[in-house]
Amino acid sequence: MREFRIEQESRGNIQLIHLQGSLDMYSFPRLESQLQTLFQQGRYYVMLDCSQLDYIGSAGLGALIGFAKQARDHDGDLKLLRVPERIYKIIELLGFTKVLQVYTTEEIARASFQKP
Amino acid sequence: MDGTIKGISVNNTSTEVHVRIAGRGTFQNGQPLRRYAMELLGRGCNEFFVDLNQCQGMDSTFLGVLAGIGLRLMQPGHSGKIHIVNVSPRNIELLQTLGLDRLFDVNVVGRDHTHHSFPSEIDFQMLPDSDPVDTSKSLNKRDTANFMLEAHNNLVKADPRNAPKFQDLTKFLREKVGDQQPPNPPHHDHSCLNAPKETHP
Repeated sequence: MREFRIEQESRGNIQLIHLQGSLDMYSFPRLESQLQTLFQQGRYYVMLDCSQLDYIGSAGLGALIGFAKQARDHDGDLKLLRVPERIYKIIELLGFTKVLQVYTTEEIARASFQKP
Repeated sequence: MDGTIKGISVNNTSTEVHVRIAGRGTFQNGQPLRRYAMELLGRGCNEFFVDLNQCQGMDSTFLGVLAGIGLRLMQPGHSGKIHIVNVSPRNIELLQTLGLDRLFDVNVVGRDHTHHSFPSEIDFQMLPDSDPVDTSKSLNKRDTANFMLEAHNNLVKADPRNAPKFQDLTKFLREKVGDQQPPNPPHHDHSCLNAPKETHP
């Protein structure tokens, strides 16, 4: 099991967060803290790069809905990028694709933000 | 990936149930565990022993299933308990975070000693559909949403301080359970898997 890692970089006004390893109840508070900090700074355009993610738990996904809604309330959004097929199947099964937008390329995800 | 078999194996007597979790306990393999546990609770089994020695972690839904068993054992007519043994420091933190260490009898690796002896490995049987890697294709969306909602409600019943932690998820699941719309048609444009086309600036 790979250790959970988060790396953040800026793409203009959009924050790109790379996730690696398992996003479970044990590791989620780290992402939660990072997202809270970004929102406190008024940065509501966020992409989560999931290409190196091995696992995501149900509570983590549920909490991401809350962050996405919070971002949208401030005319931003939180989008998922390059989600591995196995994780996408879980997201789709749980119906989260209705509220969390998932993209396969960074370019299209960036373009989808209304006011980056 | 290691070669260890992942999943939930079980053994029961007329009064005791033994459960071993190898790999992750998730919303996927929580469903067969719930079915198995409810059947045995109905038959009068009142002592549940859950071995987490090979458990790499549990998601909130799986913990909600365990909480449901623990809550059921507290109801009138039951006099047993759920005993969680061989709990790693990582898993005890999860249990404590959700207040479940007060609902369960918890035995931490290197800290507590259990006097209970588990049956030998050969007496355990693997629960069908309990390998989370293989199960997601066979799950029904509505049943899964109902199941997850029940599990998270159990966590809130076990400790009301859990309510705000799961409020976004439970709100979503409640809406989903009441949602009568048919499933989305399959996507063929994979550039954006689910975003509305008109969101471009």
